[in-house]
Amino acid sequence: MNLLASKDNLIRWLDLLLHEHVVIAPVRVQGLTLFQPISKAEEVDLDFDNTTLPPKGWFLPPTETLFSVQRNDGQTKLVPAMVERDALIFGVRPCDARGIALMDKPLLQEPSDALYRERHARTVLVGLSCRQARPECFCTSMGSAPNDASYVDILLTEIEVGYIVQVTSKKGKMLLPESFTEYEGVLPTPPEPRAVPIKDVMPAMKGLFDDTYWERLADRCLHCSICAYVCPTCYCFDVRDYSDRGNIERVRSWESCQSSGFTRIAGGYNPRATKGSRLKQRFYHKLLYFPEQFQDIACVGCGRCIKACPVNIDIREIIDDLQQLEAKSGA
Amino acid sequence: MNLELTQQIRDQARGLLKSGTVKGVIGYERASDGLTARPFFAYELTGTDQLIFDETCSHNLVKYLLDKKGEKMAVVVKPCDSLAINLLLNEEQIKREMVFIIGVSCTGVVETAWNQKSQTLQARCQTCRLPKPVVYDFLAEQEPIRRLEGELYPDILEMEAKPIASRREFWHEQFGRCIRCYACRQICPGCYCPECFAEQLSPLWVGIRIALGENELWQTNRTLHLAGRCTGCNECERACPMDIPLSLLNRKLEKEMEELFSFRAGLTSEEQPPFATFRKEEKLGFEE
Amino acid sequence: MGLENPFLPYLATIKSTVELTPDVKLLRVELEDAAIRGSFDYKPGQFAFLSAFGEGEAPFGIVSLPRHQDDLEFAVRQIGTVTRALHELEPGDTLGVRGPFGNYFPLEDYAGKNMVIIGGGIGMAPLRPVINKILEQRDNYGNLLVINGARTPQDLVFRPEFQTWMEAPRTQLELTVDRGDEHWGGRVALVPDVLRELAPSPDNAIAIICGPPIMIHFTLAVLKGLGFKDDQIVTTLEAKMKCGLGKCARCNVGDKYVCQDGPVFTLEQISQFLEQP
Repeated sequence: MNLLASKDNLIRWLDLLLHEHVVIAPVRVQGLTLFQPISKAEEVDLDFDNTTLPPKGWFLPPTETLFSVQRNDGQTKLVPAMVERDALIFGVRPCDARGIALMDKPLLQEPSDALYRERHARTVLVGLSCRQARPECFCTSMGSAPNDASYVDILLTEIEVGYIVQVTSKKGKMLLPESFTEYEGVLPTPPEPRAVPIKDVMPAMKGLFDDTYWERLADRCLHCSICAYVCPTCYCFDVRDYSDRGNIERVRSWESCQSSGFTRIAGGYNPRATKGSRLKQRFYHKLLYFPEQFQDIACVGCGRCIKACPVNIDIREIIDDLQQLEAKSGA
Repeated sequence: MNLELTQQIRDQARGLLKSGTVKGVIGYERASDGLTARPFFAYELTGTDQLIFDETCSHNLVKYLLDKKGEKMAVVVKPCDSLAINLLLNEEQIKREMVFIIGVSCTGVVETAWNQKSQTLQARCQTCRLPKPVVYDFLAEQEPIRRLEGELYPDILEMEAKPIASRREFWHEQFGRCIRCYACRQICPGCYCPECFAEQLSPLWVGIRIALGENELWQTNRTLHLAGRCTGCNECERACPMDIPLSLLNRKLEKEMEELFSFRAGLTSEEQPPFATFRKEEKLGFEE
Repeated sequence: MGLENPFLPYLATIKSTVELTPDVKLLRVELEDAAIRGSFDYKPGQFAFLSAFGEGEAPFGIVSLPRHQDDLEFAVRQIGTVTRALHELEPGDTLGVRGPFGNYFPLEDYAGKNMVIIGGGIGMAPLRPVINKILEQRDNYGNLLVINGARTPQDLVFRPEFQTWMEAPRTQLELTVDRGDEHWGGRVALVPDVLRELAPSPDNAIAIICGPPIMIHFTLAVLKGLGFKDDQIVTTLEAKMKCGLGKCARCNVGDKYVCQDGPVFTLEQISQFLEQP
């Protein structure tokens, strides 16, 4: 049975949740919408398209300390970082929730990533269905949908009189207030994002590793890390030690396969020295290696990379091009 | 699309490719949104039909010459972009004989994002004082339009008038958002160090933390490295996914360079930027 | 979190260090916790991360043989910031060890085969336990040919062991350098050329190769010329790694992660997705 929450009740519920949880929700910052911890429910932007960055940063933060090193009287002790509080992420789009489910595959694979696992266990995801498909969206081609409740604990779908509340997990159920009433109506028809045929892309890529297509595409690519950092499924990171007046910490931060130092080893050798090889890695990892390893394409069709790329590297075009190239060479 | 300019660019590109003068032509084509422009490399005659020019052609294509040093390329440049050519010539990053410059007499570009195009000219275009490129081999011309002659630095003056504490607060908020994607660097024609200070390990200038302190170190150093070198194309600000107003920093230094040294980057390829030269008579201010 | 957190290294102590070449040190390392020391099992080809706390962590092949001694041995070439810090460690100093990681050379599968082992420079490090393991069970294998190249005679990493290797039955050790010195009476030639000259037969043979990418590139060509098939050529890849857990994603080659699926691969497994040097 679904529930119904009026907008007022929803706001009141969020305020209530703030007592026990860190609540992270979409907030307007200049022209952006960012997931940020809120202190009052009214800070939340309920009418956003999608957030500038995906919610992945609350599971795999842009920067975090893994452990610190304590030294006393010649004794060394390692103190691992801990997750302090339960969190609730409010307003997660279904595509982004799938993104987290995809990041789980490498990061929760044994031996699992301790901090990620801990945050995951202590976080509730409250999703928000999309009322419209944006021009960059293609979630239905990537295993999700604008009203997909599969990867969240609670999914809200806005209708005229408030929000339909679908509860999909125990974790979600435990948080529901009594003010939500039963709802027997039907769910609204979801919007239809653009379809991107993808069925032949994996076999196509196997034959195109040395194709000049990649060099030509790399001509345009700037090799910045925007696409990786706005991507809900990119999880690459860097690890470094910090030493400051006797305080030693091991820190990790996001990094992307587009950075020239990503694969450069001490001494200078770089197996992916050319820009073409790095750009190729991005798409091979997303569209071939990750699916070979985990059975899913590492893309959820949120379209952020398409929107944010300063030179319009459009993954949908690439998916299309690769299949056509292979069809042509096969013919 | 500006048919007049587009036709001239296509004709020129065809001629250059046909004669073998250049290996490729760096210009613009329509982006995947069907609305704005994106960089495009034409290597074959057939590709020249994709070349376009219009008010969405914001990218400074001079950046791409840095990746194509070994082969002669033609490049489409707006007047503002042409300043970066002089910068790179002056800094011996490109060779004049390896570049064929297709200049365009621009009427200004508008604010764009993917699938979005505003009706108003970019701020820098509103005060643009360059009717045509400062260096070119061919000029695609059209009737120039009337330009607004406004104050060059109204936002900088406003910022300068604020107390230090509020300026600091403003920038901390901005830098706090930076995600260190380095799009600002990667798109900048003046950023071409084989190893950027931000990635050097030994000595270590700035660490990997994506957090205020190191973000600030990154952004301020980036800006300072461009003092007297930034040619004002403002592509860094356009590229920034986190909407950090980088032009406020770049133009603050541009203004300082004009006031202190009467210097503006890229006007000629001969004059050395002030920070690339040292004259004995220069007053350093720390002699005693 | 302890063992629960795979990013936490074990604490360890430097027992001794040996200068193997002007820029390579052998670090003998003892894990502090006796229980962990007892259960730390590994095979030739596996690697571990060493932490110089405050400078960072980097992966190194374990060059000792398991159960031979309690100490773990690593041959560390000073080449970057972490290795510089590791070189500065002295007996008694604390460091971190995370591992063992990766797969290993399936030496059991090579029983009865003729072994061709080709190493260049510090690339000999992961091959040392392979050679020593073969010598330990000498009767299990056919002929053993070791070709070891280095820039100069001084850079031959495991000199103290050459005598033992040379004197082992059915074992041939061929040393070569790019540049000799006044004491050097041996070969001055590139590894691929030495291989071509010695021309070991591919029949019932396995070639294991490790060294700088350019050496690997040209040596592979010679091996193929000699008739070695891709499944007879085994290499151990060096890659930049930050986690060893298949998570940081930078050691990704094709659908493989060097840290988990490797570092030991047959050429057959990876040739499709290797970028040319």
